[in-house]
Amino acid sequence: MERTKAISRVRDLLCIVGLLILATGWATAQASSYYTKWINYTSANGFPPGEVYCVTVDGNRVWAGTGHGLVLLEDGRIKKIFTTKDGLSGMAVMSVAVDKQTGAVWIGTFGGLSRYSGGQFTNYTNLSSGLANDLVYGVAVQGQYVWVATTAGVNRFDTYTGSWQIFNESNAPFEEPWTYSISVGAEKVYFAVWGGGVLSYDLANHYWKPYTDPDGEMELVLYRNQGLIHNIVSSVSWNPDTKTFWASTYFGLSSYDGRNWHNYLKKDSGLISNFINAVKSRGDEVFACTQKGLSEFNTRTNTWVTYRPDPKTGRGEILITRPGGNKRHMESSTTLAHNYILNLDFQGDDIWVATANGLSHGIRKHSKVVAIPR
Amino acid sequence: MKVCSASSAIGGSRLLNLLAGIAALAMVLVSATAIMWQPPVAKASPQTIDSDSGSYIPRTQYLSPVAMKLSLNGRWLYIVCEDSEQVLAVDTYSRRVVRRARVGRMPRGIALSPDGKTLYVSNENSDTVSEIDAETFQIRRTLPVGWRPVGLTTDRAGKVLYVANTLGDDISLVDLNSGREFKRLQAGHYPEYIALSRDGTRIYVANLLARIAPADQPPVSELTVIDTSHQVVAARVNVPGAIQMRHIAELPPSAGGYLLVPFMQPKNLNPLVQIQQGWYLTHGLAVIRPAVAAADGPQKYKVSEVLLDDIDHYYADGFGAAVTPDGRWALVTASGANVVSVVDTAMLRHLLLHTPPARQQELANRLDSASHFVAERLSVGRNPTDVVASPDGRFAYIANRMDDTVSVVDMRSTQIASTIDLGGPREISRERSGERLFFDASHCYQGQMACATCHPHEGLSDGLAWSLETPKLGRDVVENRTLYGIDGTSPFKWNGKNPNLQTQDGPRTAMYIFRSQGFSSKEVNDLVAYIDSLRLPRNPHLASNSQLTDAQTRGRAIFFRDRTMDGKLIPPLDRCYTCHSPLSHYTSRVLMDVGTATPDDTIRAFDVPQLESVVTRPPYLHNGEALELEDIWTKFNPHDKHGVTSDLNKAQLNDLIEFLKTL
Repeated sequence: MERTKAISRVRDLLCIVGLLILATGWATAQASSYYTKWINYTSANGFPPGEVYCVTVDGNRVWAGTGHGLVLLEDGRIKKIFTTKDGLSGMAVMSVAVDKQTGAVWIGTFGGLSRYSGGQFTNYTNLSSGLANDLVYGVAVQGQYVWVATTAGVNRFDTYTGSWQIFNESNAPFEEPWTYSISVGAEKVYFAVWGGGVLSYDLANHYWKPYTDPDGEMELVLYRNQGLIHNIVSSVSWNPDTKTFWASTYFGLSSYDGRNWHNYLKKDSGLISNFINAVKSRGDEVFACTQKGLSEFNTRTNTWVTYRPDPKTGRGEILITRPGGNKRHMESSTTLAHNYILNLDFQGDDIWVATANGLSHGIRKHSKVVAIPR
Repeated sequence: MKVCSASSAIGGSRLLNLLAGIAALAMVLVSATAIMWQPPVAKASPQTIDSDSGSYIPRTQYLSPVAMKLSLNGRWLYIVCEDSEQVLAVDTYSRRVVRRARVGRMPRGIALSPDGKTLYVSNENSDTVSEIDAETFQIRRTLPVGWRPVGLTTDRAGKVLYVANTLGDDISLVDLNSGREFKRLQAGHYPEYIALSRDGTRIYVANLLARIAPADQPPVSELTVIDTSHQVVAARVNVPGAIQMRHIAELPPSAGGYLLVPFMQPKNLNPLVQIQQGWYLTHGLAVIRPAVAAADGPQKYKVSEVLLDDIDHYYADGFGAAVTPDGRWALVTASGANVVSVVDTAMLRHLLLHTPPARQQELANRLDSASHFVAERLSVGRNPTDVVASPDGRFAYIANRMDDTVSVVDMRSTQIASTIDLGGPREISRERSGERLFFDASHCYQGQMACATCHPHEGLSDGLAWSLETPKLGRDVVENRTLYGIDGTSPFKWNGKNPNLQTQDGPRTAMYIFRSQGFSSKEVNDLVAYIDSLRLPRNPHLASNSQLTDAQTRGRAIFFRDRTMDGKLIPPLDRCYTCHSPLSHYTSRVLMDVGTATPDDTIRAFDVPQLESVVTRPPYLHNGEALELEDIWTKFNPHDKHGVTSDLNKAQLNDLIEFLKTL
């Protein structure tokens, strides 16, 4: 009897130890899964020089908007650089959206809106269509509609009827008409409005709802986690997995799941900078494209990882901030093309990152990086 | 706003006063009407008025066969009859009609499921497709699709139906399990006919009209290519210098694998004097070599163009195209010449392959090439449209729309074997007589064109600007106009010189266009009766209950306003509704100078066009300079002469356009 009990205790102990080992190994594997291999596309290898304003992945194709046209990469190789000579509406390309249904590529430029389909461009401008303004920052496809974010409000273009609808301060709660980006959810479309917070448009009931900073446009955050962190919103990203929208501002990062707000600031998180140009989220991952690097936040592990070129050495720097403020610093042999990050998109486990000096392709590897104590 | 007449500069002020008086009176009437105004309701089906009793009587019900398919074994010939709104089954052995099914309004296209058990018929005026049991001829379902569907085909698996919506400029993709349209792909301009590639990987769509482009540029039409595996547009192939691409026939790989698409080549940028050199317009074939699968892109398609015309005679209005199963022969109907050209495809291929690259472009303009590859010209019935070849290659069948007959060609002798009478009415009504004339090019010098040549799809505008005034070479270029709903909108022509259609279609057409004796008086009256019968298409922008949307309502208020946005009174002649009066088809039927004349125009004032169905007929203004409705005000109204619009913001202009689309 005693022997049986002892055996049973040993067996339980072994099980617990085994589970602990498994859990530790899994956690280690999770924690050490970083973007350590970076392939950069810059003027040095045939990419247009300067800023890459946007990047959109479409299967094995990647569309990158630059100040010198639209770049199409296929299987990691530059296939074509489209310019106004090819029929593109403007040289400065600010946004790209692919209609998965039709294959049409919608392109927002500083010369209007373009549709690329079947090898041909069709352009829509303020003078020749119902487009509110030719400075197009954002574009998104929602069924038969194309939503367009411009400096003079938001357009909804019905591709079936050819009708254009304009939403601005006259018919929707826009504090400012200058709209930067659009994210389409299952029931709502979200808009990032410069100085106007986030707006949502309810698709079923056709009403607008504003989300703003409860303390106004102050650069102080007086009401933490009670609303949007700031009204100057640069981008918005709907996460269908967590049913949460994320909003990047020039003064921090916010999320809202329909019930609770969360605000993230540099001072008490792993966010590398409060000046955020864009945000993108899926599953547990949130990527903040900041002026000082790319910060990745895992909402499940509450861990932040920032990627950037080391300002001193130029080598890859990976900054890890765990819950409770525990920080680690690692190095990688390759890194982002620039630390000023403008946009990002996912390609499976990989990411494509638009920077101020070229496009970067980040490949996630299980860690072989060197941990450097600080 | 300055008003003047084209006819005389002398007495301009008197005329100005007269017109101003008329306009003021009209304004009062129109203001009252505007208050009472209700959107137009859908028009009833065509009727005529009995001259004796004054009562409405139904039009004689002709059949007008327009599209055909053969059963998989070739035994049954299925024929779509647009006027009788039926689909017929003809036994090709007995050559008799054995089945009939009533379908929707104005059926125009037909497809057969891969297993041969189901027919699909597009109903252009109903915006639907009828699904029919091919054996029992019972209607199984009616499937809603886009605006004014014509061509259609299933994919190879028979799971998806692709439907070309002419007015929507798009393609509906219908899931044949659920019967629901699940996506719509943008096509070119006015997609009409459609074909599944032999290997099933592609859908080809021929667009009737050229892309909307500046009037001083040669037209470029589009062959839209759809990838059936991903159901997306894979390529938009440019067919330069061509319009009115119709049916698509694909040669088997052993014969080169070319696509053959009949087209018309307008020379609209040349002064009309060119007709004397045989260069006003020509008819031919686009010969398109498709890309290999998975290597799409417009650059992957090689486009050649050859003419089917001869030096001294033209084969107007190519329409149907079919190839025999072995690819030896291609048959192309000339719907305006009542002829089918039998093309020896080996000779055609030889011509294409042995013409040096530097001279390939010349082929598109050489009137001596057809003799190299056209083996026969077969005279068939009136207005041959569709043509199909039997699966065994023994026969070909041609639908003669204006005769209600089908011509049967024995392909062994390449001669007409017989004619099948489909049983249409024997008597020919005045309108039918006019309709026949409308499609008949024999009245034109060398048979170059019929009325339908520049007004395809039974009255549409070809969307091109033409230089029609011979004495003024290159000047007074004017945009073609639709014939739909023009009854009661006289005078005609942009300069308003033709007080009625009898003048327009009689001596004016004979003198300036056909360069022939033209029509007799009776023929002119018949033709006018037909043209007057052409109704406006149903307007899909207006809800079926005629209820305006919020944007349309706001736009209507702008159209009928008499004050600017800041409250200033708009002079009567600068209000939309003064010149575009709802009392008269939204035209005042006078000449107005709205500041759109260019240095190339010899007159300053132009006929005010009616606005009904305006959205369906770009480009705009007398010379086609305005490619979109927006352009009229954003680019060509700098001094508010074309109505006061400079006070409108962008959203208000959009609203105005939304209202105009409902007319």
